[in-house]
Amino acid sequence: MVIIKLAVRTLLRRKRRMISIGILVFAGTLLLVFGETFAQSAVWYSKESIINNFTGDLIVYSEKSKEQPSPFAFTTPLPVIGDIEKVTTWLTDNPQIDLIVPIAQNYSILSVERNNKKIELPLIYYAVDPVLYQKAFDIVRIQEGSYFNIDQASGTFLQGIVISQAQNERYRQSYDVTLLPGEKATFLGITPGGSVNAVNTEILGIFEPALFKNIFDYINFVDITSYAQLYNFTGVKTESLPDSYEKAFSASGEDDIFALAEDTGFDSIDVDTLESEVISGYTMIAVKLRNHETIAAIQQEIEAAGLGVSTAPWDQASGFFAPIARSLNAVIYTIVALIFLIVSFIFMNTLIINIIERTHEIGTMRALGSEKSFIRNLFLSETLVLNLFFGGLGIAAAFLLTVLLGPSGVPLPDIVSQYLIGGGNLPLLLNAKPFIEAIAVVVIVSILATLYPIRVATKISPLQAMLNK
Amino acid sequence: MSVVKLENVDKTYQLGETTVQALKQVSLQIKQGEFVAIAGPSGSGKSTILNLIGCIDTPTGGIVQIDGKDIRGLNDTMLTRYRREKIGFIFQSFNLIPVLSVYENIEFPLLLKKFVSKEQRRELVLHFIDQVGLSDRIKNKPSELSGGQRQRVAIARALVTNPLIVLADEPTANLDTGTGDRILSLMEDINKTNGTTFIFSTHDQHIMEHAHRMISIRDGEIVAA
Repeated sequence: MVIIKLAVRTLLRRKRRMISIGILVFAGTLLLVFGETFAQSAVWYSKESIINNFTGDLIVYSEKSKEQPSPFAFTTPLPVIGDIEKVTTWLTDNPQIDLIVPIAQNYSILSVERNNKKIELPLIYYAVDPVLYQKAFDIVRIQEGSYFNIDQASGTFLQGIVISQAQNERYRQSYDVTLLPGEKATFLGITPGGSVNAVNTEILGIFEPALFKNIFDYINFVDITSYAQLYNFTGVKTESLPDSYEKAFSASGEDDIFALAEDTGFDSIDVDTLESEVISGYTMIAVKLRNHETIAAIQQEIEAAGLGVSTAPWDQASGFFAPIARSLNAVIYTIVALIFLIVSFIFMNTLIINIIERTHEIGTMRALGSEKSFIRNLFLSETLVLNLFFGGLGIAAAFLLTVLLGPSGVPLPDIVSQYLIGGGNLPLLLNAKPFIEAIAVVVIVSILATLYPIRVATKISPLQAMLNK
Repeated sequence: MSVVKLENVDKTYQLGETTVQALKQVSLQIKQGEFVAIAGPSGSGKSTILNLIGCIDTPTGGIVQIDGKDIRGLNDTMLTRYRREKIGFIFQSFNLIPVLSVYENIEFPLLLKKFVSKEQRRELVLHFIDQVGLSDRIKNKPSELSGGQRQRVAIARALVTNPLIVLADEPTANLDTGTGDRILSLMEDINKTNGTTFIFSTHDQHIMEHAHRMISIRDGEIVAA
């Protein structure tokens, strides 16, 4: 008790000096708590926003792919998922999976006519089932026209293209072309076989993305049926393929195939048994889970199911978006660490000055019978009292700020907000962790900052008491 | 019975490359209840003798016995505990703790001792405050007291633990003659009343006259005891 009394009174006696240090401790603690609350909220909302608007919890893609899914992999699209029906059936049947959205990511040419002249416009897009996509990701805000003119009752939609407003603006600037809903166009694509295919299409709507403008300003939407037609992803299937065809398909080399051609017993296919099959061309499937915590387990299950697919969790599939929030965390921690390092050095320096000024007093205490542990505890108490008081004020201020700003969210510059959480204010999550961490940091910094000064203080001999002031 | 016994004590200090011999073969004995002055000019070795008796320094050679115990070989913690139990200090510059009141300064050595209850502490502190005549200054801080009053607080603080020996290093050096006289008289009174052994250093002839016994020292050697 006497130590605390001495500590408090000594601090009050050196008020001005201690307040200067206290202000630094206050600022450091405030930044630590508020900064960490901000960063944690950013990480949480970034994850929620990416999962809910962009990638789902995970992306399923062909195991043949050498690259991982990325929001901008349009120039090198991922390989088509082989047996899409088998994969989607497996995913839909899994009770832990809430929704799946197959997506084909590609780029093509859109040809329009202006003044009897064909103008070819580059177009990057997601080819999707518009109904499923809208159900999973409510990102499209139609400005003109419609979003595939979906009939909610029957689940049918019109074939065509929905263009982003920013893309339309870029067409205007670069090609002097402004697309309008209802306008007819030709969709051109180079098939995997190398031929150029064309499909007549229509501009159905112009949209503005609700979030992630820096992605969806560049991405347009095409219905999957038009896409499959464009790339010849439509085939036939039959239950009764003749043996000779099976042999041909399983031929190990050209010689075997030529040998089959000379086979007079080569069976013909009964055309009536053939059924048309949409292969679709989907390159990835966004999967939304009922519980985010099961991502790793579901990934393992999918990859072990022999579906010929790989998986990437949302943070890998979102490219550089997820790491931004994590980097922000690292930046905040670095700034706070620097502040506390500076506070520690200033504190250490001030304590040493105090000790030098109080050599006589410390010597007297030692002469009167104070052990070194008393001196050590005295200086530690002074530091802790000061730091916990001002640190406590910092924590209280951070709590108030979080409570006041939390519901409406912290306004951020648009560019930061877009990359961090897809846009808008960042709501703050009130979490005990930063507050507990701040108290621990203040205590640890106080102890570390007093280690050397305490060593100096405990070396003061009681002989110092005998020296004249 | 001797409470202090110094036998052939040497004390040398190393100042850079120079060795300074502060005490040379000093031998002396002080009995329980004595009121002794150690006199000599500045630098003669008075304070060094007090430091050795006060267990805040150890001899280079010879034997220092306090209450029959040889202090050679005691480590810092043991010396501190021995000091706390056996010695009271009165310093030339009073050495009061500036942030504590008169009451708290006197109480301080008791707080360092274990097993002294709050009631016991209060009783002892008030007794000695009364003995040094500062009952009306209990709550004052040292900065609100005169030099004489501060030294009275220091005397009460030295006595409150009921030490075997009270060491006073030039206790009147920072006081005017009248106040110095009154402080010495107070120490004499306490010596008579409580039977506490007082050992004080001085180079002031007037103060020496208060001593019941005088030990003269010059150049680190006892010249008269």
